[in-house]
Amino acid sequence: MIKKNLKALSVLFSLIVILLLAAGCSNNEASNDAEESGADVSKSPEEVEYPDQFTYWTAIDPNVAITSESLNSVGVYQELEKITGTKVEFKHPSGEGTQITEQFNLMVASDQLPDAIEYNWRKVPKGPDNAIENGTIIRLNELIEKYAPNLTKYLDENPEIKNMVTTDDGNMYAFPFLRGDQSLMVFMGPIIRQDWLENLNLEKPSTIDEWETVLTAFKNEDPNGNGENDEIPLLLELNHIKYSGAFVSAYGITPEFYQQDGKVKYGSIQPEFKEFLTKVNSWYDKGLLDPDFAAIDSKLLDAKVTGGQLGSFYGFTGSGIGKYMGLMAEKDPDFILAPSPHPSLNEGEKAARGQLDPAYSGVHSVAITSSAENPEELVKWLDFAYSEEGHMLFNFGIEGASYEMVDGYPAYTEEITNNPDGLPMTQALGKYVRSPYGGPFVQDKRYVEQYLTLPEQQEAVQLWGDSAENNIIIPPVTLTADESEEFNSIMSDLNTYYDEMVIKFIMGEEPLDNFDEFVATLQGMGIERAIELQQAALDRYNSR
Amino acid sequence: MENLEKDVKLQDKPKSNFRRKVGNFRKDVVKDFKRNKIIYLMVSPVVLYYIIFQYGPMYGLQIAFKDYSPALGFSGSPWVGFDHFIEFFNSFFFWRLLVNTILLSFYTLLFAFPAGIILALLLNEVRGRIFKRTVQTITYMPHFVSLVVIVGILFDFLARDGVVNDILVFLFGMEPIAFMREAEWFRTLFVGSDIWQNVGWSSIIFLAAMSNIDPSLYEAAKMDGAGRFKQMFHITLPGIMPTVVILLILLIGKFMTVGEEKILLMYNPTTYETADVIGTYVYRKGILESNFSFSAAVGLFKAMIAFTLLVIANGIARKVSDTKLW
Repeated sequence: MIKKNLKALSVLFSLIVILLLAAGCSNNEASNDAEESGADVSKSPEEVEYPDQFTYWTAIDPNVAITSESLNSVGVYQELEKITGTKVEFKHPSGEGTQITEQFNLMVASDQLPDAIEYNWRKVPKGPDNAIENGTIIRLNELIEKYAPNLTKYLDENPEIKNMVTTDDGNMYAFPFLRGDQSLMVFMGPIIRQDWLENLNLEKPSTIDEWETVLTAFKNEDPNGNGENDEIPLLLELNHIKYSGAFVSAYGITPEFYQQDGKVKYGSIQPEFKEFLTKVNSWYDKGLLDPDFAAIDSKLLDAKVTGGQLGSFYGFTGSGIGKYMGLMAEKDPDFILAPSPHPSLNEGEKAARGQLDPAYSGVHSVAITSSAENPEELVKWLDFAYSEEGHMLFNFGIEGASYEMVDGYPAYTEEITNNPDGLPMTQALGKYVRSPYGGPFVQDKRYVEQYLTLPEQQEAVQLWGDSAENNIIIPPVTLTADESEEFNSIMSDLNTYYDEMVIKFIMGEEPLDNFDEFVATLQGMGIERAIELQQAALDRYNSR
Repeated sequence: MENLEKDVKLQDKPKSNFRRKVGNFRKDVVKDFKRNKIIYLMVSPVVLYYIIFQYGPMYGLQIAFKDYSPALGFSGSPWVGFDHFIEFFNSFFFWRLLVNTILLSFYTLLFAFPAGIILALLLNEVRGRIFKRTVQTITYMPHFVSLVVIVGILFDFLARDGVVNDILVFLFGMEPIAFMREAEWFRTLFVGSDIWQNVGWSSIIFLAAMSNIDPSLYEAAKMDGAGRFKQMFHITLPGIMPTVVILLILLIGKFMTVGEEKILLMYNPTTYETADVIGTYVYRKGILESNFSFSAAVGLFKAMIAFTLLVIANGIARKVSDTKLW
């Protein structure tokens, strides 16, 4: 018996040893040639052709996924294939949000890379410089200069954007998604039921106190006229407070990092944040806030808005005002969602900030990986989108099909604006172009002029832009690899703690007397160090 | 254990003897392979499975002691010793994660494990064959429903305007409770839904064990005047005890793995306080923030606890009863 066991054991062990050896060897082979990141620019631009084919990893926008399984069947890429002769093999991760993050991280870790990857490269773990150093992606400066005349021209004409797309080490790492006009950068703010205001003879609120009056009226005076007290006056999501400064910016701060005279500060440890929490907590106690605010998803929000329960929320021009007005047009003709200015503390003041995206935020930027065999060809292909022809193609699609030139203005056709299959405009656009959600090209403001068809939407861009100062927003800085490792390790636990505590403060489960303890805990977790790191990055950015 | 002792003894013996033994051993292996080649062939898929999917990946465990970077690979990344473990022990959430993990496991063990036994005992007493079969089928059906669906049902039923709240409001006039958003409710819901989903399935194995009990024991007990309860406590329960103990040991081996995939589906920042466990933390740190080394270290720490518990549980079982894993 013992002998038999011993035999079986030894067989097992020898097999394991062999396997481990094999695993070790194959791994050594896989360790990539990281030194090769200095790209070969010996070819002259004339010699370089468009690639025959390449692989392109990119998330597919939900509004596109409804009509197309892959970007191959989208108008812009079909036309592009005709022009360049390049066959693109798209690889789309499944799902959305963290599922995409997950698949991206695993792909990078596995070292099985496609030729081009579209992602928010500015926000990858350890930053873009590190991705270049590690040999995941390649530095593009030389390649862009030599083989991407259109992008080079655009960046030369817009030096502040060139600053944004270059890291502190001077690396260019991706073909950027650029918003070509201020009107494309504002798309989110407070939205309120205009018809409810009119029912109750109220004015649009512009200060925090006025908001309180309006919300109280919404709560008590049955603005939807169904005789039941089922109104939810305001839905205020934590993410909007945190990242866009919703309502909190009336107090002159934002909860995250912001700058004042070139000095970085963290809003949530300021006394103003306590004032804000005190106010919001009192609103919660009075039933003015939606109690589901801590865990809301788009489906739940849809139900609340279209169910005629929600009085106001923080949302988008397109998938907020536009979407719900469209959905409700037949069901309730009186239903009007209107933008409301970012609230301030005192009459005539402006909020410290509203939602305002920089011209380059990092999303939808396309980097070329070290597995690409002819990066110069890819660069040439990607550069096409920044040419005059490519610009029209990516923003407006195919002339005659998705747009017509009317007096020199590219007007979307009926196919887009009043789709025969009944598709909403976002989805009809998704069949042809990438302008509604972004991609490696320069977004044109003539797209948004036509996309925002309702007067309320047009007003929103104006109103939200004008009612906020936006001086305190930090530009898109980059951290070094070491810095971002340290920064992330501080912030990941800190954010978990932060979210829980702020929700508890608002819901009153944690008394506001404990605010000082909250600040002390954040400090104990290293918030001061995180501020220092942001400061260093900002200083470097300003001296670029 | 005996094998190891034998190994030690082998090495103590003079060299020539040892060499001869190795020679014999090699011959024995070859002979054994020839004689039982079909049996070896049959067992090979299982062995291969374990080697490829369970032992092979252990090679990657080394990254728990390294500063792993995909570009440098497993072998190229620099060693950092116990840094990641120290970082975890000092991290803000260490105690909360540990307590949550242990409590969730403990409650599952305390409530979900006996539930299967109790259901099996009850079913065993049922005389109506059709009724028994029907109950069995109904109770084990949910086991085959995907977790995603189960959690979806939970969210729907327990929403502020869901069925459960409607009933509570209607019958007792209570204020609606946002069950899925309240940290105090998380453990109850987690363990409760686990029982609902798996009680029928886990009772099957106990029912099988009961059917193996010698019927003459019951007859003898009846002769001696034992009622239904006496029979259950003195014959049925002792009869299935070995199965219960083995299953319990196996469960303790999985003690630190508390069904993270279900928690990931169920939790949100409002319930982190009771819901966040080591497994979900590893997922967030490792996969979402790509701190592979750190999360490998945390995962290894968890596995070490589980292994220790398994050894202890087996030791206790060995002492108090005769049932044991090894």
